[in-house]
Amino acid sequence: MSDTKTIESEIKEIIAQIMEVEPEKITPSAKFVEDLGMDSMMALEIVAAIEKKYKITIPEEYLMKLATLGDVVAIAQQFIGKS
Amino acid sequence: MELDIKEIQKILPQTYPFLLIDRIVEFEPKKRIVSLKNVSFNEYFFAGHFPGMPVMPGVLIIEAMGQTAIVFFAKSYPAELQSGTLYYLGKVEAKFMQPVFPGDQLKIEVKPLKILAMMGIVEATASVGDKIVAKAELIFAAKGKENK
Repeated sequence: MSDTKTIESEIKEIIAQIMEVEPEKITPSAKFVEDLGMDSMMALEIVAAIEKKYKITIPEEYLMKLATLGDVVAIAQQFIGKS
Repeated sequence: MELDIKEIQKILPQTYPFLLIDRIVEFEPKKRIVSLKNVSFNEYFFAGHFPGMPVMPGVLIIEAMGQTAIVFFAKSYPAELQSGTLYYLGKVEAKFMQPVFPGDQLKIEVKPLKILAMMGIVEATASVGDKIVAKAELIFAAKGKENK
């Protein structure tokens, strides 16, 4: 299983690419919507990309909880651990 | 399950000259859908695209994929939708492999990659005979009329 740092940098790269923002701006606590300008379709695309990369399924109810990179890493790890 | 043009018209907000599918020939709820589009020389767009060299614009193949996706979404998740629902595209990643000419019959297959309550990602493949002419991934969302 990948460690937290690796997963964090992989997920950061996915988010940076989809949102077209510099990876440095995606700090663990930067808010996706308020600070980085994420919209719902970007969120869907990011979740789908993470699911594909790690071969996991993140249920829809978790989407609203994904406000920062830290949240995404924590939830992704939770499901990676299960698979 | 098949749907004729009357059934399609009940679902799609698009009308002439922008209704770009003619029939649904296969449909498995939440799994896949296949539509047909008969491309005739009488299509209005051939007048300008291009004079003397009629080729169906790739963006209209994408539109036909999008319309097929709307029918898929509306028939798979009828409870989520109401009449007057609007649909819009968020992102398209497409590849065009072959030109589409008058006389071709486009067969468009759409499969879901990820679907949420009011939006989704689908993959679409358009083929003519046994040749794939275009492939795309579409991200779209649906919205009720009152909360646009």
